[in-house]
Amino acid sequence: MRSASMPPAAGTGLEPGFRGVICASFGTGDTAKLHSDGQPKHDFRFDAATPEALSQLRSALGCSKVGVRLLLAGPTPDIRAAAAVAAECGLQQEEMTLLSEEAAPRAIYCPHCHSTTTTLRVAGSEVRCKGCGTNLTTTDHFSRRMGAYLGYQAHVEEAS
Amino acid sequence: MTVAALPISPHPAVDGGLQLEVTNVSPQTDSIVSITLADPSGRKLPSYVPGSHLVVQYGGEGVNAYSLTGSGNDPSEYTISVLRVEEGAGGSMAMHRLTAGDHVYVSRPRSAFAPASTATHHLLVAAGIGITPVLSHARAAADHGTTSSLIYVYRPGAGAHVDEARELLGPALTECSNRDSFQTVLTEQLTAQGVGTHLYVCGPIPFMDAVLDHARELGWPSARLHSEAFGAAELDEGEPFMVNLVRSGLRLEVPAGVSLLDTLEKAGKSVPNMCRKGICGECVLPVLRGVPQHRDLYLTDQEKAENTTMMCCVSRSEDPELELDL
Repeated sequence: MRSASMPPAAGTGLEPGFRGVICASFGTGDTAKLHSDGQPKHDFRFDAATPEALSQLRSALGCSKVGVRLLLAGPTPDIRAAAAVAAECGLQQEEMTLLSEEAAPRAIYCPHCHSTTTTLRVAGSEVRCKGCGTNLTTTDHFSRRMGAYLGYQAHVEEAS
Repeated sequence: MTVAALPISPHPAVDGGLQLEVTNVSPQTDSIVSITLADPSGRKLPSYVPGSHLVVQYGGEGVNAYSLTGSGNDPSEYTISVLRVEEGAGGSMAMHRLTAGDHVYVSRPRSAFAPASTATHHLLVAAGIGITPVLSHARAAADHGTTSSLIYVYRPGAGAHVDEARELLGPALTECSNRDSFQTVLTEQLTAQGVGTHLYVCGPIPFMDAVLDHARELGWPSARLHSEAFGAAELDEGEPFMVNLVRSGLRLEVPAGVSLLDTLEKAGKSVPNMCRKGICGECVLPVLRGVPQHRDLYLTDQEKAENTTMMCCVSRSEDPELELDL
C-alpha cells in the first residue's frame, strides 16, 4: 500500500510519468482524509484557484501520463476553475472527481468582458460585473469549459 | 481490359452517392489490393473526416464498406484497400476483379471513427487490414500538425501500406510481427502517454477487445478509446421468439438460427440494411414493447439500456415477444 503522500520536491514535486491520484484542495477543502485505493497519491493545498495555483496544477498534469486521476475539493468556483484547466490539458470528465462545498458562491461569466464575478445570489437575480460594470442576469447555464455560469446583460430585451 | 457494366440500380445504401471510375488497381500484398476511384469527369470529390469509410456496390446487389486511406482533405480521388476473403459473402472477391476503367456506385464517405478534436496526440493501433482507417488518421494528423504514433501488427510479408506508414511516421512507427512483442510495446505505450492522448484501434474484434481491455486496466477511460470494427464475431443461433408488427398488423415467428431481418424480408417487409453484421446501423428498428437481446456493435451502452431501438440483423429478444413500430 502506498497511500501516504509523497514528499514535496522542487517544482510540482511530481515524479515524471505519474499515473496515480492528484489531490488538490482549495481553502478549507480537504482531500487528505480520502483514500486513493493504494494508488500513489500527490497532494496540493491551495488557498484559492489563483493563476499561480492553476499553473502549478497545469504543470503537474503536464508531466503526468494517461491513467492519472484528479480529485478536487473546496469551494465550487475554485474547483470548477481547476477542472476547466484540467480539461484544457486533456483530462476527461471521467478522470476527475469534484467534491464541492455546499452553499459556496457561484462564478458568473460575463460574455461582454470575459471576466467572472462571484455571487451568493440565486440564478435569475442580478449581479454587477467586476470587469466592466455591466448588470448581469445570472442563469443556471453552467459551462464546464469556463468553470462558470453564464450571465447576460440584464433587461437587454427591453432596450430600444 | 473488360469494362464492367454498372448495376442497373444503385443499392439503397449507395443511393444519393457517387458514380466513380476505377483509375488504378495495385496489389499491396498477395491478398490485399488498393483500388483508386475518381470522378469520370475529373471533378473533385467530397472531403471526409479521417477514419471514414465508403460503401461500395459490387456485382448486382451487394454492398460492402471499406475504409478510406487518405487524409480526407480536399481529395481528387478515393483510395481503399481490400483484403480478399475467400469464404466471405463475395464482396471482396468482386472487388478484386475490378480493373481500371470500371465504374462503381459508391456512397458519400461516412464517418464512424473520427479523431477527437481536442486530442494533442493520437496513439494508433492496427492489426492486419485494420491499417486502412488509422493510416487516414496518421495522414490527417500530419496535415494538421498534430503528432501521432502507430503500433502496426502484421504477419511478415502480409503487411499493407508498410512503406507509406514508415515514411509518414518515421520513428513513431513500431512494427510487430508476433503477439509477445506486441504486448510489450503496447504496455510500454499505454503507460507513457501524456494526458492529451487518445487511442484508436482497428483490427479483428478479439484483437481490439484485448487492446481496449488492457487500456482500461491501465486506467484509460472510454472517452479516450476509439475503435472501428470491420468483422463481426460469430453469433450463436439464439432462441426463437415472436415479433408483433403493430402498424402492419402482422405477427411473425423468428426461429432459432434465422435473423429477425431475414424473417421480416421473407414476410415481404423491406428494411434498409447494409452490413447485416450489427456494425453499420442501417437496419435500426423502433421497439415498442419487450426487451431486445442486443448483439450489435453499433448502439451505445446507453441506447441498448433504453431498449427503444434494436438492430434487426443480429439482435434477438430476451422476452418471448417483441412489439415493433413497423
